[in-house]
Amino acid sequence: MIDIRAVIAGLGLVTPLGNGVEQNWAALLRGSTGNGNLTLFPTPDDISFPVGEVAVQLFHEGLPRTHQLAVIAAKEALGGINIAPDAVVIGTTTGGMSRTEDLLKKKVSDPSLFSRHGAGSVAEYLASELRCRGPAITISTACSSGAAAMALAVALLKTGQFQRILAGGAESLCRLTYHGFNSLQLIDPKGARPLDRDRKGLTVSEGAGMMLLMAETGIPDPETIEILGTGLTCDAHHPASPDPEGNGAFKAMKGALEDADITASKIDYVNLHGTGTIDNDLAEAKAFHRLFHGKTPPCSSIKGAVGHSLSASGAVEAVVSANCVKKGAAPPNTGYLTPDPRLNLRPLEEALEAPIKTVLSNAFGFGGGNASLVIGKNPKGRGDGLRPPATFHVVGLACITGAGDLSQTLKTFMQGRSCQGRLSNEEISKPLSSRSVRRLKRLSRLGLNLAEGAFKHAGIENRPDSVFLGTGWGALSETHDFLKQLYETEERFSSPTDFIGSVHNATAGRIAIKFNARGPNITTTGGDHSFEQALLSAQLLAEDDEAPLLVMGADEFHPELSPLFDPSVRETETPSDGGGALLMRRSESGSGTKVGVVFYESANENPLVMEALVNALGGTEKIAADFGAILAGLPAASRMEGKKQLDSFLKMAGFSGPVIDYRKYVGEFASASAVAAVLGSALLKTSVIPDTLAKDNDVPLNGKGILLLGLGNCVTAVSLHDGKVKT
Amino acid sequence: MTNLIDEMRIKIIDTLKLEDVAPEDIGEDEQLVGGELGLDSIDVLELVIMIEKDYAVKIDNKELGARVFANLKTLTDYIAEKSPKDLS
Repeated sequence: MIDIRAVIAGLGLVTPLGNGVEQNWAALLRGSTGNGNLTLFPTPDDISFPVGEVAVQLFHEGLPRTHQLAVIAAKEALGGINIAPDAVVIGTTTGGMSRTEDLLKKKVSDPSLFSRHGAGSVAEYLASELRCRGPAITISTACSSGAAAMALAVALLKTGQFQRILAGGAESLCRLTYHGFNSLQLIDPKGARPLDRDRKGLTVSEGAGMMLLMAETGIPDPETIEILGTGLTCDAHHPASPDPEGNGAFKAMKGALEDADITASKIDYVNLHGTGTIDNDLAEAKAFHRLFHGKTPPCSSIKGAVGHSLSASGAVEAVVSANCVKKGAAPPNTGYLTPDPRLNLRPLEEALEAPIKTVLSNAFGFGGGNASLVIGKNPKGRGDGLRPPATFHVVGLACITGAGDLSQTLKTFMQGRSCQGRLSNEEISKPLSSRSVRRLKRLSRLGLNLAEGAFKHAGIENRPDSVFLGTGWGALSETHDFLKQLYETEERFSSPTDFIGSVHNATAGRIAIKFNARGPNITTTGGDHSFEQALLSAQLLAEDDEAPLLVMGADEFHPELSPLFDPSVRETETPSDGGGALLMRRSESGSGTKVGVVFYESANENPLVMEALVNALGGTEKIAADFGAILAGLPAASRMEGKKQLDSFLKMAGFSGPVIDYRKYVGEFASASAVAAVLGSALLKTSVIPDTLAKDNDVPLNGKGILLLGLGNCVTAVSLHDGKVKT
Repeated sequence: MTNLIDEMRIKIIDTLKLEDVAPEDIGEDEQLVGGELGLDSIDVLELVIMIEKDYAVKIDNKELGARVFANLKTLTDYIAEKSPKDLS
């Protein structure tokens, strides 16, 4: 058996304490704080509190701050080695928001200036700069994003298909987070004092943490530091407050220990999430005591020193945790003065020097997402065998398009008619109880409708335990309304409800609450390939059990923001939105469509990408034997390029079956491929591609599958099959 | 004072989009948070913004909020006492 270990080959860090791991480390051990005054944007005189602002000179005027912070940390992690990583996995929530806010404030409407708005654009920019041809995946699960990105990177390495992955998190300060946390009254006016009796909240900050992770086999060097285990859970409790019992946090930590195959007694230091909010620290302390049963290891939160860099924080702290092992030291809990009897926790008041072999690092966030990592030297000198992506079979389907729900969409599609357009808010809210959705805007309503629809369609009793949702642009209504109110009130007032709802993972978090789904809850975002990222994440991160899981894609059309952000939306006359949901079970057997991502590469400077696709699918003969039809995703903005890619594929593969240009039916929106996956699964059941879609005659599938191709700036392939999933 | 209470009933319903609640459903002494209205801490924060915006009254910490938002009466009493605006 091949053992694959996720070895940490490089670290990169930029925080309000400084640039680079060494500078940060020295300042952390001294107990310095990077919290200070905000200079990045003006605020009203009476709204003023400390923030953690990075003081590094940035290099590129036209590039959003998050991207620049990401590049700084990435370059350090790669250590000047000029070898492209095989994949990039980044956790971020606001992406290019700081720049978007400035542009919207000035009422700039040139869409080219918003081209790096998307959270997914950070990973895409890094991948392009580093000439990475593999997948550039973005996890957007609020404050657990950076740690969840590390977990996904480890899972990718363990498939055996990747050698070097750049993984981390990046986030820049912006009005959305500054005013958003203030509207929630979660800011400590004196600066964060995690775990202190008198703590009042967090300090919003920015930064980036990156790791170069490498798949290694064989006997490890005893000094090698690895990510030994990861644990992902969801509270399924509340959109913005932790479960007061810390159940999700406990389960994430326990899961990470089990994954690392070690007991709690082996943990030498815990880097706490420790935001400094009253509720987080209480819940985390409960989970901590439950895990360690009175034999508590040294612990601290570094958020009094570097602030809370939100989506980046999990990655920043993973980097610090790895450095703790490397240096044999741990940083103090800066800002802490007075013990809180309710916590019964004494964090490090001074730097600890001790042999630290194994560290547990926590990151929790809005939407109830929890991510824990075990980082350290490998005590056993061995890792896991290969963990190939899981295979799933579909047990329930749902979709929403301009034509209506699944049955209406399917009927219209099978007649070869357009399903473009969008349903009214009233229409998508019909199956949802008005009280449960009164605070939710369009994307969350779409998501809940889809999730409930797929569950009903399945007609099973077991509720989904985990949720994987891809969204190209996230909650546009909430983002828009938050900023609109802020600007209309001269930056004095903003809605806490809109702030909570604006995070990309608000929808998946809502679905988790609805189904009490306490397993991994992952939201991915990457333009037109967001759904494929969600499906791939599910194949890599879903728990190894029989519980059903939801894999979905959804996007809302927003009249002002969608045309600014999504170039394909600008090319269409019929605004469209909606999404698709597949309720699935992990299994090798069982009836129902088998679904899985079988190919994912960037098309950027990758001339052989279509050849690679043909090879990944097993070559000409195998493609003809496996697939009876192709659903091709040609986003309007990259239609020419996509068409060339498709033609090249068809020629190389010698494929002569029906090719359905599905965006012509579904419409132009980022997660249109989720609808296509649902329609493909439904087509498989009928075993025939009707003449209305196949052009001339009905084309029987004869037991063959359907290939769902995503084209344009990336090339992705999803296999839909009644037989075994081809991986 | 009655005016302010009636006004507040409507503002609460509008701000929190309580479509299935009629103004008279919100009793003066009825528990606002965690009661039958189904309001929680986020709703309170949303009302905090509305009250600061419309009445120039700040309720900027949890302890004060818990006291002020006990019921409609405590809320309107506090606004009447603190607001620089003429509420009569």
